Amino acid sequence: MKLVIGHFYPDLLNLYGDRGNVLALYRRASLRGIDVEIRSISVGDEINEDDIDICFFGGGQDSEQNIMAKDLIEEKGSIIKNMIENGKVFLCICGGYQMLGQYYREHDGSMLKCLGALPHYTEGKKERFINDTVYEFTLPSGEVTKVVGFENHSGRTYLGEGEKPFMKVITGHGNNGEDGYEGAVYKNTFCTYSHGSFLPKNPLITDMLIEIAMRNRYGNDYVLPPLDVSVENEARDQAFDYIQNGKEQMI
Amino acid sequence: MSKTKLAVFAAKFTRKSLRLLGKGATTLPGKIALKVSPSVIKDLSKNKNIITITGTNGKTTSSHMISEMLTSMGYDVINNISGANLASGIATTLICEKGTGKGDKVYVLETDEAAFAKIAGDLNPKVSVVTNLFRDQLDRYGELTHTRDCIANGIDMTSAKLILNADDSLVASLGKGREEKSIFFGIDKATMKSNNVKYPAKKGVLEASSDAVYCPNCNVKYEYESRSFGHLGNFKCPSCGFKSPLERFGIIYDGGISPSMDNFPFSIKDNGSGETKDITLKIPGSHNLYNTCGAIAAVEVFEEVTKGKTNDREIFTRACEAQSHVKAAFGRMEKIAVGDKNLCILLVKNPVGLDRSLSFVAESSDADALMLCLNSNFADGKDVSWIWDVDFESKAEDLPSKIYVSGQRYGDMKLRVTYSGCNVTESGDMSHVMEMLKKALEECPAGKCVYVLPNYTSMLDLRGRLVNELGLKDFWK
Repeated sequence: MKLVIGHFYPDLLNLYGDRGNVLALYRRASLRGIDVEIRSISVGDEINEDDIDICFFGGGQDSEQNIMAKDLIEEKGSIIKNMIENGKVFLCICGGYQMLGQYYREHDGSMLKCLGALPHYTEGKKERFINDTVYEFTLPSGEVTKVVGFENHSGRTYLGEGEKPFMKVITGHGNNGEDGYEGAVYKNTFCTYSHGSFLPKNPLITDMLIEIAMRNRYGNDYVLPPLDVSVENEARDQAFDYIQNGKEQMI
Repeated sequence: MSKTKLAVFAAKFTRKSLRLLGKGATTLPGKIALKVSPSVIKDLSKNKNIITITGTNGKTTSSHMISEMLTSMGYDVINNISGANLASGIATTLICEKGTGKGDKVYVLETDEAAFAKIAGDLNPKVSVVTNLFRDQLDRYGELTHTRDCIANGIDMTSAKLILNADDSLVASLGKGREEKSIFFGIDKATMKSNNVKYPAKKGVLEASSDAVYCPNCNVKYEYESRSFGHLGNFKCPSCGFKSPLERFGIIYDGGISPSMDNFPFSIKDNGSGETKDITLKIPGSHNLYNTCGAIAAVEVFEEVTKGKTNDREIFTRACEAQSHVKAAFGRMEKIAVGDKNLCILLVKNPVGLDRSLSFVAESSDADALMLCLNSNFADGKDVSWIWDVDFESKAEDLPSKIYVSGQRYGDMKLRVTYSGCNVTESGDMSHVMEMLKKALEECPAGKCVYVLPNYTSMLDLRGRLVNELGLKDFWK
């Protein structure tokens, strides 16, 4: 069985360990015997909807986001919108999350046009949210799990009609520091501000994304084989413990 | 009393009081002096010989190399310590450090990139080295182009000669419009291999995250004729034509042999005087080829400036000879004998540093065990996600089979190592670090080495434990 991960703009959107998410998808799929291919897709590369099972967008520095914005909107935009509507799996972090929305207005008022695939929009503020984060996520099975990450963003994102928040904030600021929610979900598109990297320490989400992608390709009877989560959970629990009890150590 | 005199007096008094309390007092005296007289750095820098070193990686090693070289040439060298590279630490050094009193005084000052913008004009150094610009604690420093602009603002306030890395597009761009002041160093373009990287990204796995591979003027990807590591290489923008400048000081080496061996032989070519010298690398690691070349360039240009010479063959010969006196410093590739085994500590603060150190351990012939320590105090950067930017995957097969993990965030590091396909032998927080290290040393055969890669505060913590529990001399400055 095969799974193709499309890593969008890896040479431009690669801040804060974003590639760890792709490594997590790669590892937990390939340990299950799935033949995983990672495809780098950057400025000028053509894409075909049927070729890619999971699309990943990371975050970038402002100057780098400006380079890819034109290519995203003008060249790849309509295909990506179709893929989202048709239920392809997307994971978009920080800048990638913002870029799928309507616009990004900087704190000085200047507007950055975004793809407009999803209804959310982002307002830039001077103060950055930089924090270890803990969220609560309800899996499709109804099971509620704690998720850890790290946020570092100056944009405040507000969701639009048809989108649901991805997670509930326990520690940190989330989308905008106001409504207590983090990220956005629309069909099988998952967006979050969480770096960290997001997936390695949260293997239940990694598995959820792989399973949806495999069902898209091989039908709804596909069940992801079980796989050990002990190292991942140890890292998550230790990070969780550090976030709650860790102190700045003076040396 | 003038304001400056008062500031100096206040700083010296603070220093004496703190030293009586057994404190290092490397930054507070300067902080107080700057409060009393904001112009204290400017006033004290007048008529002094100053060399500054800035950049994200290799500042401490380069400063150390330049200092040892100048000392062996008879200068009275005064340094700041690596943790004191902000305005406060530099003011402290200018006020409180005396030197030996023998020979001409030279201040060799490593300077934080952001602090450089503010104090470069006041220091007005004779020579200013910019080593490289790699991503480094983005939560503290912000974007790389911003760091580059800080350095540009700083150098425009000085009349310094600039020693710039020709292979780093961000650093080399500092030479644009400053041609008169700029002198470049880098790997000799004629001999640079198409790929000097021993561990290129594994096929089918993911390439390491890259910095600065697009021309900021044209938003077009640089083309590389050859590369060394990270974004360093012989680059060219196909749109505006900006390219790696022709270096005055070129590193000539055989990419086939690993620079991880002791006394790795290579040559430095001075395109100014036309002279080429065979030397050996005193501190191993391919990144130290750059640090060594930059240090030789700094010493050469410093002597030329102070002696009113240009492209001087004799100075070049003396600088290369002085390089043979350089020794490694604690935490920077120095091997410490523990009985008949070795312990080697390599400080790793950011992705490229960890990538280089992992390559070094993978290539070395004496590695028996590896230990990684990850803390997330403010000085380290609170965000540990940078470990995922490092390409562990390409080196995994050549790393020692025994890997220990410690630090406040050992869980994160253990997961990172595990995801690269390696197994972690043992892990635990810093209260277990000595237990694990002693075990690693016990199991280590005679003549082999345990490599420890800590980040900043875990290194300071470990240093204290090594002094207390293994009785090692605290010779870290």
